[in-house]
Amino acid sequence: MAFDQLQFLQTVVFGLIEGSVIAVGAVGLTLSYSVTRFINFAYGEFLTYGAYLTVFLAGGLFGISLPLPAAAVAAILIVGAFGVGVSRVFFEPISERGALPLLITSIGVSFILRNGLQAWVGVQARQLPVPLMRRTEYFGLVELTDLELSVVVVSIATMLAVHFVLQRTMLGKRMRAISGNRSLAEVAGIDTTRIVRQTWFISAAAGALSGVLYAVLFSPFRPAVGFEYLIVIFAATLLGGIGRPYGAMLGAVLIGLAMNFGSTYLSANYTRAYAFLILVAVLLVRPEGIRGGEF
Amino acid sequence: MALLTGWMAFLVTVATIACIYGLLTLGLNVHYGHTGLLNFGHVAFFAAGAYAAAIATMPPPSTVTNASYTIWFNLPMPYAFPVSLAAATLVGGLLALLIGSASVRLDTHYLAIATFALAGVFEDVLVNEAWLTNVSFGMNSVPKPARDVLGADAWQLGYLVFAALSLAIVYLLVERVMDAPFGRLLKGVRESEDAAQMLGKNTTVAKLKSFVIGGMIAGFAGGVYAHYLGSVVTAQFVPNVTFMVYAAMLLGGAASNTGAVVGAFLLVTFEESTRFIITAYDWVQSMLPDPLTGVLPALAGLLPNNPSFIPSLRFVIIGLLFVLVIRFRPEGLFGDPTEIKSLGEEN
Repeated sequence: MAFDQLQFLQTVVFGLIEGSVIAVGAVGLTLSYSVTRFINFAYGEFLTYGAYLTVFLAGGLFGISLPLPAAAVAAILIVGAFGVGVSRVFFEPISERGALPLLITSIGVSFILRNGLQAWVGVQARQLPVPLMRRTEYFGLVELTDLELSVVVVSIATMLAVHFVLQRTMLGKRMRAISGNRSLAEVAGIDTTRIVRQTWFISAAAGALSGVLYAVLFSPFRPAVGFEYLIVIFAATLLGGIGRPYGAMLGAVLIGLAMNFGSTYLSANYTRAYAFLILVAVLLVRPEGIRGGEF
Repeated sequence: MALLTGWMAFLVTVATIACIYGLLTLGLNVHYGHTGLLNFGHVAFFAAGAYAAAIATMPPPSTVTNASYTIWFNLPMPYAFPVSLAAATLVGGLLALLIGSASVRLDTHYLAIATFALAGVFEDVLVNEAWLTNVSFGMNSVPKPARDVLGADAWQLGYLVFAALSLAIVYLLVERVMDAPFGRLLKGVRESEDAAQMLGKNTTVAKLKSFVIGGMIAGFAGGVYAHYLGSVVTAQFVPNVTFMVYAAMLLGGAASNTGAVVGAFLLVTFEESTRFIITAYDWVQSMLPDPLTGVLPALAGLLPNNPSFIPSLRFVIIGLLFVLVIRFRPEGLFGDPTEIKSLGEEN
């Protein structure tokens, strides 16, 4: 059988679409790592909460039913604020105790958030009210729906926004200073507690956005959706080197491609495994990830 | 002969499961408590042991309904029991060697995620390869040793005695190893890897050995579990098992073997007793004087009415346990605060 170029290109496109969902989540996770110095196992719950809150706000559970984009924006902002609350209740009190206690606490927090939601809404699958769409052909080569296209656009816009915040705003400069050396940043007069909280907001909001994008593409979902997808986000984050936003973006694209090429050309049963095998292979050669250096 | 009815049967079951979790916790404690290795893939070694025991002793597929597995050894039972447990231990250790050699060099966070991810890959293999694991139908004819000779009740008690003895022996072995120079080397790696290297110790090999020892213990636990339930199904080996074992270890006290065993017993007792919440509710309701009978139903009416409410709440409480133990009593019930301190430091 001749090599199917169209299928190859289509796989690249699907890889990039999934990569853009992963990228939003990975950037959020890595930003919070860069100022808090621990990897947050409860991060997946921000994805879940983003997706569920969007369903509830759009579906009129709270007595209002917003149009989908407005519901998504509201959900993202609420989850962002919720992330700050989670940090203040669970993580700030032990922030001086080193990485391990924080990391283990985050596992407890993920249990509380995930099962709390499940106790409340049950395990049945939910779905965003997105219309079924026909794929449009682009350049006679690849096909994608308007929704898939908008997921990619939203993701690219988010990456540009993160880039702008990091490089052009005082918040970004302070975040980079704290990431480089927290005590030095404090001595220089930076209110580190405040910056850390603002970073939590951005991180949780990015998680929620990633959850909404995931729900748009891969409905229906259950309360464990974020926790299950978390390992894919971890893979992208580590591949790029933890705490490095630009590395996370690159890592996400590679993981998205690896997962889709693996499912198309090898076996669809092992989608996650391709992400991990690449990750472990890279870690063995370069334990610090593909993108060393400062951001 | 209704020797084991009601409460007695329940207690024997809980105690047996607690012994198996005690083994798992002792194994994880070798990794985390004694060596400082953040292993988030413990369930994989447990699963590997359980499947090894199942494959060693399962009867031919032609005699089992819904069978699609193609590897089985059907070892003759009373004598095959030790062989099966040895196989479980060995396979648990081999998987630990495999996962460990890919990840043990990595630092805290990378190690945690690499082990978590590799255990996820292993879970994917179990869920997808019917020829090996019979997937969701499970391996349901794992023989229970001497079950037909002893009868149901005596077997339950006998197996509990066996599980408790196994736990005691493994406990003594781990205590012995941790007192030996090798145990001190592991603690040295935990306190300061650089210092251990300065003294000419090969810390990577030490960590790998620690990983394999803990993996063997978990594999052995898997074998004991398989022959106890007589059935091995993929749904039993989810990542939550790893975190339950962490909860038991932290509650009992990391780096304390007594703590590991006590923590496992407390946690399993808690988990199994939540199924009596409804019974307790009915009992309280029946005891209330007349004017108050409306109170409980009114309160319960505020709660969401879905079947996963109580099972989910159980995990919320386990999550809270993580948070509260780390925050207020990092040494757990039996841990040594000075030992725990070194676990928190980033090297």
